[in-house]
Amino acid sequence: MNRISLKKQNGDNGRAYLYILPSLLVFAIFMFWPLFRTIYLSFFDWNMIKPDKKFVGFENYIELFQNPLTYKILGNTAAYILILLVINFVVPYILSFILSMMIKKGQNFYKGIIFLPSVISLVVGSILYMWILNPISGPLAIIAQVFGVTLPVWSKSEGLALVVLSLITSWKVFGYNFIVVLAGVTGVSQEVIEAARIDDVPMHKVFWDIILPMSSATGLYVFIITIVQGLQYVFTPIKVVTQGGPNYASSNLIYHSYHEAFVLYRTGMSSAFSIITLVLFILLLIIGFKLVEKGVYYEN
Amino acid sequence: MKTELNSMKWHILIIIIVCILIIPVVFAVSNSFKTLADAFSNMFNIIPANPTLENYIHVFEKLPFLQITINTFFIAAIVTGFKIITSLLAAYAFVYFHFRGKNLLYFVLISTMFIPFTVIMIPNYLTISCMGFRDNLWGVILPQLSDALGIFLLRQSMRTIPRSLIEAAYLENVSDFKIIKDIIIPLVKPALISTGIIFFINSWNEYVWPVLVLKSKENYTLSLALQMFISAEGGTEFTIAMAVSVMTMLIPLVLYIIFQKHIINTFTMSGIKG
Repeated sequence: MNRISLKKQNGDNGRAYLYILPSLLVFAIFMFWPLFRTIYLSFFDWNMIKPDKKFVGFENYIELFQNPLTYKILGNTAAYILILLVINFVVPYILSFILSMMIKKGQNFYKGIIFLPSVISLVVGSILYMWILNPISGPLAIIAQVFGVTLPVWSKSEGLALVVLSLITSWKVFGYNFIVVLAGVTGVSQEVIEAARIDDVPMHKVFWDIILPMSSATGLYVFIITIVQGLQYVFTPIKVVTQGGPNYASSNLIYHSYHEAFVLYRTGMSSAFSIITLVLFILLLIIGFKLVEKGVYYEN
Repeated sequence: MKTELNSMKWHILIIIIVCILIIPVVFAVSNSFKTLADAFSNMFNIIPANPTLENYIHVFEKLPFLQITINTFFIAAIVTGFKIITSLLAAYAFVYFHFRGKNLLYFVLISTMFIPFTVIMIPNYLTISCMGFRDNLWGVILPQLSDALGIFLLRQSMRTIPRSLIEAAYLENVSDFKIIKDIIIPLVKPALISTGIIFFINSWNEYVWPVLVLKSKENYTLSLALQMFISAEGGTEFTIAMAVSVMTMLIPLVLYIIFQKHIINTFTMSGIKG
């Protein structure tokens, strides 16, 4: 009833398009059109400067999949995703559970401080951690020396560089993910949890069988943004600290697209890499939704 | 008694996490007021023994620092203003109108949040160059005049306004402009403020796109200026880098401290499906 009356009084709803138009224009020019242009460019050999592009069909994609470097970068990307998920998805979940169950006092205070790094530039974060983790003169190295431990030169070491860059990124991402997950976890009905506790259901079962399925919508959201935004956030520390090195060991799909385009000037390869990234993101989104659907089904 | 001890244990765990997150910021502020020698010899003195302003003075001497701060502010202010206006209008249309393709359009706009920036980076670079905005602040601003997150957050907030209120206004033939100005804006003010602050802070901290567009020092933003002081070894300019870091953090931190409650509430809302 309400809807019908609203529609009638509005008369022409064409005005709605007018209000969406400014946003739509911006998205069309700087989002949708570029998306198609990148797909188009991925079929060409070009260096951004030459007046004419050379059509090469699927050659960029073939070269990409034949190059062993691609698999190294895919592996790195998977490693980044895994580390980012553990620190910024699994840990916030467990921490939220603890905070909502055990700690009643000071919740807002903790939330406020844990969120704080999220408003600070990742360039600042990168510089700060480069100093703190400096293997020779940084504070951590000095403390380690007392115990007779020497820190490895992580920025020059193949697996370690990637781990440290993930940590720097997590410093920024963690707080946001935490407060979102906490909202999801505290949103779970207290009655259900109380009932389970009266029945002496062990804590890990409460978490696994009640909290997790009942906050799955929020969980899915955080899971997805940890991957999609996390991989893009890592770009900044990679660019600032290692430039993808040593020997591409800390590069990921996002950074490599940039590297191909603005360091090697291979527009076609860069476009092919970014299209592959987009396809992977879409696949991950679909898998994520399927998983949650299953979880919700399981709950019934 | 037992439960109290138990909860103590968890408090300690959380406090450790809080420390890991906060210590870098404390170190940055502390080191920015130390001389380089002092920073290395009295590393763990949080409060500098001989506080000095020389790092800050040095920054202003070495760089067009005032200009760089103004650039950062200019970009963030314009981007925020436009994002708020375009998002508010779009959200209004999505909440109060019925039109063909509404759900599809909303889905398409929101899904842009999941497009990695590398997919649009080259064409946007070409477009901006073509418009003559390379190494120009407008080159940074133009692609960011609207934001799916803004449409999403403001739509969420508008949906909490009782429909009858808007319907009554329609019955009286009040214009859309007046409805937005006199009913919607006052009622969604908290969401509007925090969304605006989130946009401002994000733009202030932005690095990826400005680093592609801006080339000369006098057009730099703070994040780009900061990058000039980086060297893998910690370097001779380390305390100066800390001073620049502090100045880069200052505005976002002040805004965050003032509007903390609003910001956290809005971000909390962003994770709840609607």
